[in-house]
Amino acid sequence: MARRGAPVVLARERLLSVPGPLGALLPGGALQRGAVATVGGEPGAGVTSLALGLAAAATAAGEWAAAVDLSGTIGGLAAGEAGVDLSRFAVVRGVPNDRWATVVAALLDGVSLVMADVPRGLRVGDARRLVARARERRTVLVMVSSPAHAWPADAGLRLWAEGGAWPGLEPGQGVLAPRALRLRIEGRGTVSSVRTAGDALALTG
Amino acid sequence: MAPDPIPTRTLGLWCPDWPVVAARRRGDAPGGEPVAVLERGRVLAASREARDEEVGAGLRRREAEARCPGITIVELDAAADARAFEPVARAVERLTPRLVIDRPGVLAFPTRGPSRYFGGDAGLVAHVLEAVLAEGIDDARAGIADGGFAARLAARRARIVPPGETPAFLAGWPVGALGDETLAGVLGRLGLRTLGAFAALPAPAVLARFGPEGIGAHRLARGEEEHPPALTVPPPDLVEACELDPPAERVDEAAFAAKGLADRLLGSLAERGLACTQVVVEAETEHGEHLARAWRHEGALTPAALTERVRWQLDGWITGGLGERAAAGDRLTGGLTLLRLTPDQVIPARGRQLGFWGGDAAAVDRAAHVFARVQGLLGPEHVVTPVAQGGRTPVERVRWVPWGEPREPGPRRPLQPAWPGAVPGPSPARVLEPPPPAELLDSRGQPVTVSSRGEASAPPAVLRCDALPRRGGEITAWAGPWAQDVRWWDRRGWARRVHWQIVMGEVACLVRVERGQATLDALYD
Repeated sequence: MARRGAPVVLARERLLSVPGPLGALLPGGALQRGAVATVGGEPGAGVTSLALGLAAAATAAGEWAAAVDLSGTIGGLAAGEAGVDLSRFAVVRGVPNDRWATVVAALLDGVSLVMADVPRGLRVGDARRLVARARERRTVLVMVSSPAHAWPADAGLRLWAEGGAWPGLEPGQGVLAPRALRLRIEGRGTVSSVRTAGDALALTG
Repeated sequence: MAPDPIPTRTLGLWCPDWPVVAARRRGDAPGGEPVAVLERGRVLAASREARDEEVGAGLRRREAEARCPGITIVELDAAADARAFEPVARAVERLTPRLVIDRPGVLAFPTRGPSRYFGGDAGLVAHVLEAVLAEGIDDARAGIADGGFAARLAARRARIVPPGETPAFLAGWPVGALGDETLAGVLGRLGLRTLGAFAALPAPAVLARFGPEGIGAHRLARGEEEHPPALTVPPPDLVEACELDPPAERVDEAAFAAKGLADRLLGSLAERGLACTQVVVEAETEHGEHLARAWRHEGALTPAALTERVRWQLDGWITGGLGERAAAGDRLTGGLTLLRLTPDQVIPARGRQLGFWGGDAAAVDRAAHVFARVQGLLGPEHVVTPVAQGGRTPVERVRWVPWGEPREPGPRRPLQPAWPGAVPGPSPARVLEPPPPAELLDSRGQPVTVSSRGEASAPPAVLRCDALPRRGGEITAWAGPWAQDVRWWDRRGWARRVHWQIVMGEVACLVRVERGQATLDALYD
């Protein structure tokens, strides 16, 4: 018999499960609502595909995802191939640096997952305010960082894309095929606070 | 954005307390005595005699009977009200073919042609009222203004608003005239009690605070059309029709067929992210008679509302309005053989309509509200959603649609059939637009060129570009070239364009060579 007065929280309300092979690598197979995840790596190492794979978790649950795209270069088709339902995915482009924090904070109010590039010269105070806002609104914040612009605040989950060989293509022959991506994942498990870390492979574009 | 054209000059006709009038006409209520019509236990409309005894809309039945002993109470019969209105609509239709019915008792039509024919706005109003009076309706009011919303308000005051003076006419009305109680309540608390005060707010601020519904109301208050005209062109292939065999002679037979049509029409609109605010119901009979009538609805039509309106219209045609009053010429001579529904005005579906996807409607509303707010901050073109469309290159194969506009592929860009010469493989996650310049060199350091027959001068060996990690490097694998002739029919616009898929170690990218210049078009990231 359930204890009287204990609040009942469904798993669906706490977690946003990530579909596909990427989900199998994450602690609990899911992103924790209200938490911040960072995705890092060199350009061309699969950072964007990895972040889009996380964004797919929101649209797969029938909810909405938004991306703040500073360079205005996210590939719409690649988002679809990473599993994002394009009818529930919006991209905000051309955000001036001084409005960035306002726009991200606004989006955290309205969707289940916000994916954003770390802007140049982001202040620690702004970053911490966004962490608090995400926790309060129970929205996942996926920060796409680069070696030059790191996320200056806490994150419950840190992922790095470390590239992978491209199959299917030889000098002058064949066609590029989807590759397996090497990932490094650090984070607290969702049940216990044991840290998990390790190298792993996930299939992505 | 181009300035909006002046809204269509429109005549609104209003028969006050139509449910009461209709009940009296069909003999359910006595004339000259107090009458109230109830909907779900509350008074919807009351006759003048009842209003003199303080019986008004919203009262419970018991309260109404207490205030006015001996009052006749009638339950609302919307279908019968619609049937009773059919002769009125028919009388006005003799003056103009472009009639739009809002609900039984209220109709509107654009005045441009008829007004000139009848010698000006005043002459037209006189003719309309005379035609309605001939049907036995002694209390009808007509008004003319710019735009449907203002015309319906002008009808309540029986006023002809001169062209261009509509915003001034609207300014004095209370915000409650917008017909959105929640919005009116909030505006009232903000101290904005009239449409004029609301209209004076800057549009971006209204969009940011009240979202798309708010901006629609704001447009109305300023005397504009609720939806920008560019958004209201209905796709031509959305007409739904069905043949009735054997011909339908009873209302329920025809209405059953109409229900399927209505569901199909709204379904195919929803697939395109559209909703419908005005629909034309058409029918043909065994003897070749052709009937058509437009119905309008505040907000988007739901399947139930559309089916109801089609049923009312079919009922009006088949029974010929009020049975004993209808002239022989008003009755159909045979059964209906064809039914057709044409969307006359479409708007981008938003808010509640998006719930068709199975996501919960609250999440859709929340997302839509926030996107509109960000659009208010940055401008509408800064919030976009991707739509896949036909094309050869990653840039061509996505159309970025500003939030709130219909999510459709661009013109002449169907997804099917497949486009020849399209770059194969997975789609690049970063599409650089405009693309940065690059250098594609062979092993001797010479730029790689492609002959008119599509053959490369030498295998590519080195790619250099500032946007690449370590500014490029040695090429380990490649595919291509894929050549396309762009605008080959145009001597000056003609260009040969070549794409290469290039892999350097673990970095893959898409390079384009056009007019001798290489660019880095996309990065597989």
